[in-house]
Amino acid sequence: MNDREAGLISRCQQGDQDALKEIFNQYHKKVYRIAYGVVRQREDALDVVQEVFIKLFRSIKNFKGKSAFYTYLYRLAMNTAIDHSRKKKKTAFLSLDEEGGFQPSDGYEKRPDYIAAQKELEEKVRWAIDQLPQDQKATLIYREIEELSYQEISGAMGCSIGTVMSRLYYGRKKLKDLLKDMVKGGGG
Amino acid sequence: MKNKILSFVLVLILFSLLPSLTLAQVQTRVRVIQASNVGKAIDPSLRDLHDQLGSLFNFTSYRLLRDEIVILSPNQPASVSTHKGRSIEITQVGFQRNIAELRVRIRRDGTDILNTQVRLSPGRTVLIGGPKHGEGVVILALSANF
Amino acid sequence: MKDSCSSISQLLERYFDRQATDEERSLVERHLPICQTCHERLTLLEELRKAIKAPVDEALKEETFPWVWEKIERGIRLGKKPSWQESVRSWLDLSPLLRKKVWIPAVATAIVLALVASPLLFKKTPSLSAPSVVEYVESQTYNVMVYEAEKAKVTVIWLFEEMEGESTTS
Repeated sequence: MNDREAGLISRCQQGDQDALKEIFNQYHKKVYRIAYGVVRQREDALDVVQEVFIKLFRSIKNFKGKSAFYTYLYRLAMNTAIDHSRKKKKTAFLSLDEEGGFQPSDGYEKRPDYIAAQKELEEKVRWAIDQLPQDQKATLIYREIEELSYQEISGAMGCSIGTVMSRLYYGRKKLKDLLKDMVKGGGG
Repeated sequence: MKNKILSFVLVLILFSLLPSLTLAQVQTRVRVIQASNVGKAIDPSLRDLHDQLGSLFNFTSYRLLRDEIVILSPNQPASVSTHKGRSIEITQVGFQRNIAELRVRIRRDGTDILNTQVRLSPGRTVLIGGPKHGEGVVILALSANF
Repeated sequence: MKDSCSSISQLLERYFDRQATDEERSLVERHLPICQTCHERLTLLEELRKAIKAPVDEALKEETFPWVWEKIERGIRLGKKPSWQESVRSWLDLSPLLRKKVWIPAVATAIVLALVASPLLFKKTPSLSAPSVVEYVESQTYNVMVYEAEKAKVTVIWLFEEMEGESTTS
């Protein structure tokens, strides 16, 4: 952690919202990526981002600086996104691309077959990620979306590098099986 | 010191007697929605309006055509194209006790088809709808944040 | 380490994640051109990553984060309310006045202010719902209906197709 970040955190711990805003400016996109990786919908991801920074402001007094700040924030983001996803499972929103769905006639649309294929893939990926155990899901998102190293993931999740590798292996294996119709490439 | 306190208090009294007609920058969100009975779906981006739309109208499908945020400065009109040949012009004409007064004009091919003035507070939505669009109708959802 | 398919396949994920040592990397890179199975496994890992990552990159590219910071501020504000005593105390900051013996006229002035302002406060109770949301509405082209759903905090202005020869102002 550099001095500037340490200063921001200290000010934030004393209730300085301007410091929180600077932290927000620095990290909101990373938090959004983690949130979107879990919830796979824009509105939900934005809700998660808001929730994360509100929670951060309330809980930052608990951050003692023993680990890197980003691992603290990533853990908060991941847990919030997973909780949000769990609560949302009870509410279903229908896809717009149902049979007989209306196509606007004013040039706003893309090709319907392309939209349908993209939505189907998105839905299937979201469903498949949802089937993973929480630890495997989090590990995969840290690795595939945020491109954290094994060392960084082990710091964010509080586990050994061996455990990180194991979770990645079994998470990818399960996703391969669940998405085998969607992804090309032979089995192995 | 006494004079300073007295002056301060006099200024306070003066402001408390005046109507608080101040103007502030207002962020207004304009969503253009197509409502119809073709299909059964609601755009996920309209989730916050889901309950209201469902309780107010009998349409089965709501599709978001456009989503814009305009920042209104006092007495400066801002125009947003909504759909073919139509636009909405919004002007902040007043701001009082957490309520923004907005003049809204909907225009079709340069002619006013609706002229209204509404009072918006954060959390309140104004829906302006009815004109036909394709297989359904258009609804404009206005909300403000300040 | 033996340069066999089974040992290489154990290294493949580390190689794919760019976490392999230099020695492991060169072993894998020597092996891949001659092993279709391992090559296909690597391709599959790439496809999987693309399926997970691409939509996130796409979403972020288009995202403008409208009002997110404002909502965070509001969320913090709603979650943290100082007691009214703390608010008044910090606003008045009476201690310097007490030391300087000017508190008598200050208190007297505050009482006068309260007496003057209270009729105005009671006369005009701020209420978001009391005044109508729609101040006026007019249309030369449509018949207009206004409906206010107070509970849902929604106001509807509905335009009906005009009957011939009519115009509407309200």
